[in-house]
Amino acid sequence: MLQAELERADLLKKVVDAIKDLVQDCNFDCNDSGLALQAMDNSHVALVSMLLQVESFATYRCDRNIALGVNLTSLTKVLRAAQADDRLTLKAEDAPDVLNLLFESSENDRISEYDLKLMDIDQEHLGIPDTEYAATITMPSSEFKRITTDLMAMSESVTIEASKDGVKFSAMGDIGNGSVSLRQHTNVEKEDENVSIQLVEPVSLTFSLKYLVNFCKAAGLSSVVKVCLSNEVPLLVEYNLSGKKGAHSYLRFYLAPKIGDEE
Amino acid sequence: MARTRLSSAKGKKGGGTAEKTNTATTTTATKHPLPTESPNPPKVFILPTKATAAARIVTLPNPRYSKPTRYLVCPEAGFFEFTKISAPKTAPRSWLLESASGTVEKPQADEEENPAISSNDGFDVHITKGAELYVASPLDPLFLLLPALAAGAGQESKSTQASKKRLFLFSDDHFDALSRSTNHVSEILTWPDLRLSLELRMAAVCDTVDAGDEQMFRLNESKLLDEILTKARRMAEHAFPKSMEEKFVSKALEAPILGIRSQPTAVPEPDPATAKSREGSSTPVESADSQSTIPSLATSASSLSEASTPATTASSDSAANADSGDVVNAMSAPEEAIKLQRLRVAFNFICSSYIAPSLAELLKSHCVAAKDKVDFGPLDDYLVKLTKMRNDAAAARTSDYSRKRGMDEEEDERAEKRRKKEEEDKVKKANQSRGVKKLAKVNTTGMKKMSDFFKKK
Repeated sequence: MLQAELERADLLKKVVDAIKDLVQDCNFDCNDSGLALQAMDNSHVALVSMLLQVESFATYRCDRNIALGVNLTSLTKVLRAAQADDRLTLKAEDAPDVLNLLFESSENDRISEYDLKLMDIDQEHLGIPDTEYAATITMPSSEFKRITTDLMAMSESVTIEASKDGVKFSAMGDIGNGSVSLRQHTNVEKEDENVSIQLVEPVSLTFSLKYLVNFCKAAGLSSVVKVCLSNEVPLLVEYNLSGKKGAHSYLRFYLAPKIGDEE
Repeated sequence: MARTRLSSAKGKKGGGTAEKTNTATTTTATKHPLPTESPNPPKVFILPTKATAAARIVTLPNPRYSKPTRYLVCPEAGFFEFTKISAPKTAPRSWLLESASGTVEKPQADEEENPAISSNDGFDVHITKGAELYVASPLDPLFLLLPALAAGAGQESKSTQASKKRLFLFSDDHFDALSRSTNHVSEILTWPDLRLSLELRMAAVCDTVDAGDEQMFRLNESKLLDEILTKARRMAEHAFPKSMEEKFVSKALEAPILGIRSQPTAVPEPDPATAKSREGSSTPVESADSQSTIPSLATSASSLSEASTPATTASSDSAANADSGDVVNAMSAPEEAIKLQRLRVAFNFICSSYIAPSLAELLKSHCVAAKDKVDFGPLDDYLVKLTKMRNDAAAARTSDYSRKRGMDEEEDERAEKRRKKEEEDKVKKANQSRGVKKLAKVNTTGMKKMSDFFKKK
């Protein structure tokens, strides 16, 4: 059986909120190392990969590998009943029909309990190799979100160009064109505001802005986002979910670059 | 069924006397009742009281199928055939047999059925596996003699030459033709009275010549036809048992249904196309039914074990409608046609039950030819009219109803599938977030699939 307790329901709420607009149904794979999720959008051009390691949970017990097939819209509805700082416990049998969610309020003695019906989802798992990216950009997640939403007004796609001068996001559309350039920047007082660019070689790739905007819904999960690019491989957008602890939990988005002539 | 058979043979036997149930046990019981099945279970017979103690159950060739069959023969009362009546397989039953002490007749040493058993002390209580009942009913020995008399009749086609080729023979020669090592013909012929009565019956259907102090016999088909028609007339005098009457007489003559009174609007206004359908709307099954009268007679005769189940099950919808009484038939059969139909059914029944197929064919063709003996003309006229009406009705039905219905079913199926799919899609859509819907509209040209980058695990 699975019994996993999160200090704050917030974490799961935000994760689900971030991916529910990308993926409809997906399996939460539970094993003794934690709770994992991998899913693609309907067009199979983007991929979400999430891992909540055991360390991210207050208590965690999983005797056997369980796949929890969940409709994310339904899960969102249930999680809406949870306060951000409620203690959340997930429970499931070994061959479950339902996922049991328990919300315990920290302020009063309110306990809400929900059973969510599960479904069988036939999903293929892709093996994602560790990649040495040509450019790795670390920046405030809010900054990345703002850039994508701003450029969304101009065009459907954005070209990300990383060079030793910095990183340039540019969009060309019917009404004109626009771009945002960032340079490496270190803020001593607020580490989260840092912008760092690690460059192996210059790289320039074009991506669908709609997808990037979608990824940025995870901005609330972490103040820092890591954007990794390389030619011929999907863009990686990673949010760290570990918080202050030593865990290595993450939420990663992959997006295939646009190749060929721009429209 | 049993009754019909009885009445067909009754004539020569001098009428049926009151028959009393008489449980004759032809088998024995083991001394100690064993739980295992008895290899020789008791059978229940209803035997005529007028049969004397000298009566025997013997094996004689069946007149129609010429296979050995059991008959009860009494030197005085004559021949009896057995009709097996058993419960339908769907409702299995058993006999619980018990006899008050002293009522069981001592089996005799020469008991035909079980010559080996002579030393049973008594018969106590028995439960049989099936509830078969064997009813003995009088049989005209004429039928038993027919295979011998008509030997070679059918083979040489229907031509009258067959009868010309036939020779006058002594009764002994005819009897010899029947006698086999597997049957008891020669044994029963040693009974003097019986032999005489057999010769009398033989004379009824044969031309005879005197040869010294003995007679010689040759089958006369015309006489035979007369004899059988007499039997058939007697059988058709009154209405048949209800199930038979319904199946072979009323249904065969029933005109297609014109309409149902409670729904007068269902009958379309007369225009050339619908005028035909006005004549009726019977099922096409019906016309097949009337033509299959003879074969179905044959089956009902050969499967008498099913006699306890109703002979007919009103299957076609027109029959069901007929019961409701609201229907208007296009025409009703004239009284004469009904009588002739009964006669024809009776004649066919006798032919298909007691007469070998080849001879039966011959007799039927004779019967059609011999207009002076019986004229089925009015019945045939009616049947021709009826068939035409039914065909019209069937045509009208197939043209406007059944085809449409067939398409409807197909369409229903498709619509059902579509509905199901739509419902599924609806559920899927309802569980789809707005973001996912929006994302589906995103232009993904030039973007490779994830599986192109990452290999499956």
